[in-house]
Amino acid sequence: MDWTYIQGILMLAGINLIAVLGLCLLTGFTGLFSFGHAGFMAIGAYIGALMTVPAGVQAGSIGGLGLPFVVGIVAGGAAAGVVSWFLGRITLNLKGDYFCIATLGFGEATRLLLNNVQTFGGARGWPGVPQYSTVWAVLVVDVLGVFFLANLVKSRHGRNMIAVREEELAAQIAGVDVFRYKMIALVVSAVYAGVAGVLFGHYMSFIQPKMFSMTKSTELTIIVIFGGLGSISGSVLGALVLTALPELLRAFSIWRLVFYGAAVILIMISRPQGLMGGMELTPSGLRKARAARAAKARLKADALREAGGGDAAGGKA
Amino acid sequence: MTQFLQQLVNGLSIGSVYALMAVGYSLVYSIMNFSNFAHGGVIMFGAYFGFFGLTLLKLPFAAAFALASCGTALLAVLIERVAYKPLRDRRAPFLYFIISAMGASILLENIVIATIGPTFRTYPEILAREPINLWGLSIGRLDLIMFFVSAVCLTGLILFIEKTRIGKAIQAAAYNMKACALMGVNTDRVVLIVFALGGFLAGIAGVFFGMKYTVYPQIGNITTKSFIAAVFGGLGSLPGAVLGSVILGIIETLVAGYLSSQFRDLIAFVILIGVLIFRPSGIMGKSAEDKA
Amino acid sequence: MSANVLEIRHLTKRFGGLAAVNDVSFAVREGGIMGLIGPNGAGKTTIFNLVTGVYKVSEGEVEFQGKRIENLDPYKIADLGVTRTFQNIRLFKSLSVFDNILTACHLSAHYTIPEAILRLPRFRREEKALNEKASALLEIMGLTDRKDVQANNLPYGLQRRLEIVRALALDPKLLLLDEPAAGMNPDETEQLMRLIGEIRERFKLSVLVIEHHMDLVMGICEDIVVLNFGQKLAEGKPDAVSADPKVMEAYLGSSGGNAKC
Repeated sequence: MDWTYIQGILMLAGINLIAVLGLCLLTGFTGLFSFGHAGFMAIGAYIGALMTVPAGVQAGSIGGLGLPFVVGIVAGGAAAGVVSWFLGRITLNLKGDYFCIATLGFGEATRLLLNNVQTFGGARGWPGVPQYSTVWAVLVVDVLGVFFLANLVKSRHGRNMIAVREEELAAQIAGVDVFRYKMIALVVSAVYAGVAGVLFGHYMSFIQPKMFSMTKSTELTIIVIFGGLGSISGSVLGALVLTALPELLRAFSIWRLVFYGAAVILIMISRPQGLMGGMELTPSGLRKARAARAAKARLKADALREAGGGDAAGGKA
Repeated sequence: MTQFLQQLVNGLSIGSVYALMAVGYSLVYSIMNFSNFAHGGVIMFGAYFGFFGLTLLKLPFAAAFALASCGTALLAVLIERVAYKPLRDRRAPFLYFIISAMGASILLENIVIATIGPTFRTYPEILAREPINLWGLSIGRLDLIMFFVSAVCLTGLILFIEKTRIGKAIQAAAYNMKACALMGVNTDRVVLIVFALGGFLAGIAGVFFGMKYTVYPQIGNITTKSFIAAVFGGLGSLPGAVLGSVILGIIETLVAGYLSSQFRDLIAFVILIGVLIFRPSGIMGKSAEDKA
Repeated sequence: MSANVLEIRHLTKRFGGLAAVNDVSFAVREGGIMGLIGPNGAGKTTIFNLVTGVYKVSEGEVEFQGKRIENLDPYKIADLGVTRTFQNIRLFKSLSVFDNILTACHLSAHYTIPEAILRLPRFRREEKALNEKASALLEIMGLTDRKDVQANNLPYGLQRRLEIVRALALDPKLLLLDEPAAGMNPDETEQLMRLIGEIRERFKLSVLVIEHHMDLVMGICEDIVVLNFGQKLAEGKPDAVSADPKVMEAYLGSSGGNAKC
C-alpha cells in the first residue's frame, strides 16, 4: 500500500466530505432530506470545467474559458447555489415529502439534461479537465467548510434551523421565519455540493453525467445518517469511513452497494441516531453529553426516591 | 389526424403501465404517508421474474405472469416486514422510512447487478409481430394487451377497495391508522395486504415494461416517473394516480412523436415543476392544512 | 388606542363545509387574565390558531394592540408580541432545557450570519446576552437545576412549565395558554395558578387561557368567554357565567363544578 494510493482515498474522502458537510446542514440540522444533491455537484463540476478548461483548439474537443482554478470553484459553487434558490422557491413551502420528490426529480433531470445536450459532451462526458485539485486544496476547503459550518450552527441562526428540524410549528410560533431558514440551509448545502463537484472534476480530469447519479445522491445522504444527524464530527467520520472502506475492499466492489443498501436498512431499524447520535467530538460537545447524562441520572434518582417515599405528588420520570 | 390518434393510443397504453406502477405507490402513500422508493426495485424484479420464468423455466405466458406478480407481491411484503415494520412499531418519523426505502432500493438494484449482471435482456417474442388494425389505426398487440390487462387490474382493485370489508379497512386506515387500530382492525394485516396488492401490480407492470422495452437492473429509476405521475394526480388518490399516469403517458408519447424522443424522459420533470408551482395537491388531491 | 390588548371581531373559519369558528367576537383587556372555555370541539384551539397565524381566517378581523394581524405569517405575529403554548406539548424534544430557552431567545439578538460565522464582536456580545437571559429565565421559573436534561426526559408537569418559559423568552405582550393544566393533579394545578398570576405581574403581560379544569378557570380568570359549536355562548365575569343557564346546560352540565377532560 503506497502513499499515492492512500492519497487517492484521502482525496476522494475529502471531496465527498465537502458535499456531505452541506447535506449535514440541510438534513442533519434543518431536517430536510434531499435525494438529488449529486445534481448540484454536477452543476458545479460542469460550470467549473467551463471556467478552467482552456479554449478549444482541436476539432472535437470542448473548450472553456481557461480561467484560474479559484474562479472555477467560485463559479461552480455560485451556480449551484442559484439553481437551488429557484428549486427552493418552488418546493420549500410544501410538505417535506414534496421536497424529497422534487430533489429526486431535480437530480435525475439534471443528469438527463447533461446526457442529452451535446454541448458539454453528452453521455460520453468532458475529458481534459485540468488536474488542479491537490491534497492541499481539498484540505483547505475542508477546513474552511467545517469552520463555517461549526460557527453557523453554534449561533442563533443555527439554533433556529435545529428548531425547524425539531418542531416546525413550534419554531414558527417562536418567531422563526421557517421558510427563510430552510432556504438558507438549502442554498448553503447546494454551494458546498457545487464546490465539491468542481474539486471532483478537477481531480478525475474528466466528467460524465453518470458520475452524478441518484446513487451518488443517496450515498451522500447515507453518510450523513451514518455519522448521525446533527453532528458535524459524525459527518466527518462518516465521510472518511464510508469512502475509505469500499476502496479498501475493492475486491468486493460489485457487492459494495449491496452492503451499502443493507447497511442503511440496518442502521435505520437498529440505530437511527447513527455513529455519534447527535453528539460532537469536541471538548464542549463531550462536556455537554456528559452533563446531559448526569442530569438524566439525577432525574431518575429523584423520581425513584419520591416513589419509594410513597409521596403521592411525586412527578413522573 | 390518424397519426395523432395513433400516438394517443400508444400513449394510452404506456400510460396504463405507468398507472399500474403509480397505483401501488399511491396505495402505500395513502396508508403510511410516505413515498415508498423501493417500489421501483420491486417492479424491476417483476421484469426479471417474468423473464426467467419464460426463458429458464420455459413456462407458458400466463404462468410466467403469475409467477412474476406473486413473486413481487411476496417481495414487497418481505421488504415491509424487514425495512418498515420495525420503524412503524417505533413510530419513527416518516423521513426514516424514506431512508430505509432508499436503502432497499439500492440493495435490490445492486443485488441484481452483482448476481445476474447488468447486461440488458430482451424478452422472447411471445406475441405475433403484426399489429392489429382497428378503426384505421394499427395498434401493437402488446399495447392492446397492456391496456386491457391494466384496465382490468385497476378496476378490480378499485372494486376490491370499495366493496370488500378489507377494502373498507384499508380506506379507514388511510384516514387514520391509530383510530383504525382502536376500532379493532388489525392494522398490521391491512399494511400487509396493501403492500401485497401494490407488489402484485408492480409485478405485472414490470413484465409489461420488460416486454415493451428491455430488462435491466436500473428499471427502478424509470419509476421516478410513476412517482411524479402519482403526485400529478394527487398523492394518496388512486383514481388520481391512474389519471396522472395516463395523461403523462400520452403527453410523453406526443412529445416524442412530434418533437424529439431525446427529451421524452424529461417531460415528467417538467410536469413535476408545473404541479409544484401551480397545484401541489395534484389534480385530484385536496389541500390539507396542518391541524395544530 | 383601546385598553384591549386583543380584539377579535366576527371571526369565522370554515373547513370545507364546516364552520369550526362562526362569527365570534370578544376582547382581552390589557393586563387581564381571560379564560376561553367550552366543550371539546367548540373551536377554542382553532381560535388560537387563527390568532397566531397558523390558519388563515375565512372572515373577520384580529387586532393586536391596535394593529390588524389576521393572516400574517406566524413568525411575524410572534415578533409583534403574541406567543402560545400547545395542547400536545411541542418542545424541541432532543434539545436540553437550556437550549430550548436559548433558541427561543433569538429575537433578542440581531447579529447576521456573516457576523456569526466570523465571530465578530457583535456576535460575541449579543450571544453572551442571550445566554444570560436564558439563565435568568430558568432561574425565575425554577428550572435551573434541570437545565441540562433533555426536554423529553423531563417529568410531564415540568415539560408544561418549560413550554411556558419558552413562550416567555419571546418577551410577549399576550400569552395564549392551551390547556396548561391538562393531566395535572390538584396540587400541580394550584402551583400553576400561582405561576400564571406571578407571570402576569412580573412580565407585565395579558393572558388568554383555554382550560377544562374549572378550579383553575374560576380561580384566576377575571373574565370568561364560553364557546359551543364554534359560536360564542356567553361572556362575562366568572360568577355570572357559571350561573348562566345556557352555559350550565351546554357545558357545566349536571356535574356542576369540576368538569375535567
